Amino acid sequence: MFFHIVLERKIQLHPRYFGPHLREKLVSKLMKEVEGTCSGRHGFVVAITGVEDIGKGLIREGTGFVTFPVKYQCVVFRPFKGEILEAVVTMVNKMGFFAEAGPVQIFVSNHLIPDDMEYQAGDMPNYTTSDGSVKIQKDSEVRLKIMGTRVDATEIFCIGTIKDDFLGVISDPGAAS
Amino acid sequence: MARRDYDEDDDGAEEEEDQDNAYEEDLDDEIDEEEDEVEERGRKSGRGGKGAKASSSGGKKRARSDFIDDTAIEDDEEEEEEDDDDEDYGGGGGGGGRSSQKKKKPRGSQFFELEAEVDEDEEEEEEDEGEDGFIDEGADLGEEPDRHRMRRPAFIEEEHEEDVDEIERKVKERYARSNRMEYAEDATDVEQQALLPSVKDPKLWMVKCAIGHEREVAICLMQKYIDRGDLQIRSVIALDHLKNYIYVEAEKEAHVKEACKGLRNIYSSAKIMLVPIKEMTDVLSVESKVVDLAIDAWVRMKLGIYKGDLAKVVDVDNVRQRVTVKLIPRVDLQMIANKLQNAEIPKKKTFVPPPRFFNKEEARELKLRVERRRGESGEIFDCVEGLMFKDGFLYKTVSMKSINVNNIQPTFDELEKFRKPGEDTSGDLASLSTLFANRKKGHFMKGDAVIVVRGDLKNLEGWVEKVEEGTVHIKPKMPGLPKTLAFNEKELCKFFKPGDHVKVVSGVQEGATGMVVKVEGHVLIILSDTTKEHIRVFADHVVESSEITTGITRIGDYELHDLVLLDNLSFGVIIRVESEAFQARVPDRPEVVLVKLREIKNKIERRTSANDRSKNIVSTKDIVRVVEGSLKGKQGPVEHIHRGILFIHDRHHLEHAGFICAKAQSCVLVGGSNRANGGDELGSRFGALRSSSSVLQSQGGLPPRGPPSQFGGGRFGGGGRFGGGGRGHGNELVGKSVRIKAGPFKGYKGRVTEVKGITVRVELDSQMKNVTVKREDITDTVARATTPFREPRYSLGGETPIHPSRTPLHPFQTPMRDPGATPIHDGMRTPMRNRYPMSPARDTWEDANPATWGSSPAYHPGTPPARPYEAPTPGSGWTNTPGGSYNDAPTPRDSYANAPSPYVPSTPVGQPMTPSSASYLPGTPGQPMTPGNVGMDVMSPMGGGEGDSVWCVPDVLVNVVRPGEDPCLGVIREVLPDGSYRVAMGASGSGDVYTVAQTDVEVIRPKKSEKIKVVNGALRGSTGKLIGVDGSDGIVKLDGSFDVKILDMNLLAKMVV
Repeated sequence: MFFHIVLERKIQLHPRYFGPHLREKLVSKLMKEVEGTCSGRHGFVVAITGVEDIGKGLIREGTGFVTFPVKYQCVVFRPFKGEILEAVVTMVNKMGFFAEAGPVQIFVSNHLIPDDMEYQAGDMPNYTTSDGSVKIQKDSEVRLKIMGTRVDATEIFCIGTIKDDFLGVISDPGAAS
Repeated sequence: MARRDYDEDDDGAEEEEDQDNAYEEDLDDEIDEEEDEVEERGRKSGRGGKGAKASSSGGKKRARSDFIDDTAIEDDEEEEEEDDDDEDYGGGGGGGGRSSQKKKKPRGSQFFELEAEVDEDEEEEEEDEGEDGFIDEGADLGEEPDRHRMRRPAFIEEEHEEDVDEIERKVKERYARSNRMEYAEDATDVEQQALLPSVKDPKLWMVKCAIGHEREVAICLMQKYIDRGDLQIRSVIALDHLKNYIYVEAEKEAHVKEACKGLRNIYSSAKIMLVPIKEMTDVLSVESKVVDLAIDAWVRMKLGIYKGDLAKVVDVDNVRQRVTVKLIPRVDLQMIANKLQNAEIPKKKTFVPPPRFFNKEEARELKLRVERRRGESGEIFDCVEGLMFKDGFLYKTVSMKSINVNNIQPTFDELEKFRKPGEDTSGDLASLSTLFANRKKGHFMKGDAVIVVRGDLKNLEGWVEKVEEGTVHIKPKMPGLPKTLAFNEKELCKFFKPGDHVKVVSGVQEGATGMVVKVEGHVLIILSDTTKEHIRVFADHVVESSEITTGITRIGDYELHDLVLLDNLSFGVIIRVESEAFQARVPDRPEVVLVKLREIKNKIERRTSANDRSKNIVSTKDIVRVVEGSLKGKQGPVEHIHRGILFIHDRHHLEHAGFICAKAQSCVLVGGSNRANGGDELGSRFGALRSSSSVLQSQGGLPPRGPPSQFGGGRFGGGGRFGGGGRGHGNELVGKSVRIKAGPFKGYKGRVTEVKGITVRVELDSQMKNVTVKREDITDTVARATTPFREPRYSLGGETPIHPSRTPLHPFQTPMRDPGATPIHDGMRTPMRNRYPMSPARDTWEDANPATWGSSPAYHPGTPPARPYEAPTPGSGWTNTPGGSYNDAPTPRDSYANAPSPYVPSTPVGQPMTPSSASYLPGTPGQPMTPGNVGMDVMSPMGGGEGDSVWCVPDVLVNVVRPGEDPCLGVIREVLPDGSYRVAMGASGSGDVYTVAQTDVEVIRPKKSEKIKVVNGALRGSTGKLIGVDGSDGIVKLDGSFDVKILDMNLLAKMVV
């Protein structure tokens, strides 16, 4: 789920940037530092949409660096248990498949794939229904439900299921071609 | 069991004997009585130190009186009577030592006295005798448990008494006594200890007898004792659980032999064994063994070809002590068939057929007759040669003794075999009961989600509210039920939902963590966090946890990810450690092999290297990419090399713990220089002879990769080789503590656990986390010096110039410095390279570790310090260097401070070739950078952040340490552009002026209240006064501003005005 929230962060800036473009530099540094990171609480920071407030800088003794507390608005993405997501399959193996929804990696175990889909090994491993009408392989897009999340320092890992109504492949690269 | 507590040596015994004969018919009872008495006493002495003391002192007195009254036993008897009377009337008065002794007995002893009182005189006598016989009461008390049994007959004896009231009274006494008994058993360890048998006590002898006749022998011995009376044994013990042996208590072996002589069931030839004193108590300690054998419980077979096999109980016959179990048959039908046709088939004893389900058709094909028979309970069995089969299982009736009931922990696989296809696991409650029986204490904890697995409320979910012994109170999930319900522990099972993150706390997979993917009854399928594989575990074996671990990583000497040599000369990497076995990834086999510990021959630790496709040397930790075969495109650091096979760890590869193996020939070293021309081996081997241009070229061609520190690993043995330039070596970095200076974990400190390409994994100090950060985003916590300082060094070696320092011991990184900005590098690099093609030898990369750091700067022979001494040109000196000499240079530390040392000697000082004799190390203010010869500003690099390698400034007092000369004081007058100093000798700088190499100069540290000059850091060159020293920091008052600064002592030098 995406959220638009306000976060705060302290940015250290080298004195050489002090000048008319300090603010720009600060914002660009903030973006560089924050965008794409992940925290367990907020999830992935997708983009900074604005800077609310830049506090007073504090010179750090010994280094000359200045620390600015910056309040910024950003869009964060955090997967939740039970959430339904659309993701792109990145890898298929006999245990299930991995899919990615943006920065989030989701594993769908073969236990959580409908029973009528069977694993087909080979050059392009895939899960196929017995009649061959539905095929999950690399680059397929699937809709899945998140069953559980595990939050690491730098990533969020989820397990998902497609064993439910209205879940499964939504677009098949093989079918399109 | 019979027991007499006689002291045969005592004269009184003979007297006694007559009495014995006279009261023969009462003997048994008397003995019992006596036993009781003994028991009494044991209790007394057990009750407290005081009691024990009292009785033992009584015993002593007794003994003495015995000796005195030896000839007048009658008197003693009379006394005894008196005693009794005394006791009867409240224990008042009484004469003689005897009665006073009695009085000493603790309260409560009157119970047995009273009881004794009803008996005849002799009875009392018996008791006395018994007491006399005791050499040490403790000895008998050790056998107390055995005597408990004796109490009953004694009681019956007393029932002979006519008086009902008396009996009633006695019953009460009995109970009182038994209560006392319990107290006695509660005695402290120390007191118990005092009761243990000692050397003075009669010994226990183990006598072999016919199996099954143990009790009989004991009775026979008792009878014999009664009949003859001259037997000098004390007791005979037959234990139910010990077949083939009885115990005889006696002083001497000869006594035992004598007693056993002529007994039918005792083999006279058998040796009589002495039971060591320590084990005597064990003989009689009673083990409460409650065999709770229920139908459907899991058991293990103890004997025969099924030994160790899991079996399921289908029927229990408690009377005949027999159990019918269901087993997976280990039947060789072929053998049976052969046997039927031809009886003379030699039996191969060693062969145990593997467990296989019985197949009726198979048996028929072998022309075996399969009968259909009805079992006792009406089921139909297939019978082959007396073996009963049903549904493929073998039904076997065995003795209860031949099965193991306790602590059965069926493994998953075993249970799986027993499970019939299609059978519902959750319905298999019986097997659960065994599992539940093995539950640890405190299995359920408050808050656990549970499900009811049996009873009316089956499948009710809830949460544990309270746990009391075996009862668990749960809060049901269903509305409309009482707030809490109490369940037996065994009716509950832990409950997990898919998506829960759990940790396995017991069983084969113990320690692993993962997320629940599927719940099948009480079995969970977990997706392991680390291996991304499915694990099947019992719900009972897991707890909910947010922790992430791999489980056990070590058995014996072998650890996860070790390269090991297996039995059959194959080798593999351990990719999973299970409780008893490893899984190893072996090349040439698609599947993972499961190996037991003993199947592993040894660990392969030899560090080898291999040639990749383009003849680059690949060694461990190098990053390679697979360019051929099924694994094409995979990339990762090499973890092991053996026989040309690379074991590559690809973090993105999910199977086999990320390990892939590939032939070295089908891989390329990422960033290998020999990409285009594979045949430059000669050139690379003799890198020292290479033209500088080629060096330059290769350097240029290298993308900035890998930490500079890896260069340190470069050896000079065999000349320079660029093949491995810039490889992802991270050895030096691993384990170092660093600070993260950018990214989400900016500011965190941590320890490097792993180096992978351009990223490193850092274990944060403040959080239980491992994070991946870019290499350039970390900085050594200890280090503070500039990167530029290092860079020139690396560039000299053809290294990648831009890399932050990583080794904490090398404080070269101050954030203020802009990496690579200083012009010095160019200045110094070019000339250096032109003159000495310094490419460091890389063919021994595996040794790249901090320890070899010191050897790397060896390419500095050409550094200017050489000049003043007019030494042989460093270049020639270098080329003369025998290949490996630097390799072996024992560099004591991996710090830069020491780094220069190796080349110091190679300066013309006189030992051109000797790398670093230790004596130079301490004093050498190593300036690896000194290549100031190019005319750079010596001051500017200011790199040497570390203490003894500072760049000196004029006017500071130094110690000039020249090889072969005593150190003498001097004052730096001038710093020459080439990095050497003009030093005026003498403490005040009044002496002659010499030119001294930097390496030979040692800064004198100032003392308190001396004038100082700052030789490094931001305040470099400023002067001041040292007003105090705090550990390694000096408190300095600066001259100009009168600011008080705290500076590292290493930055300060004593100034001479």
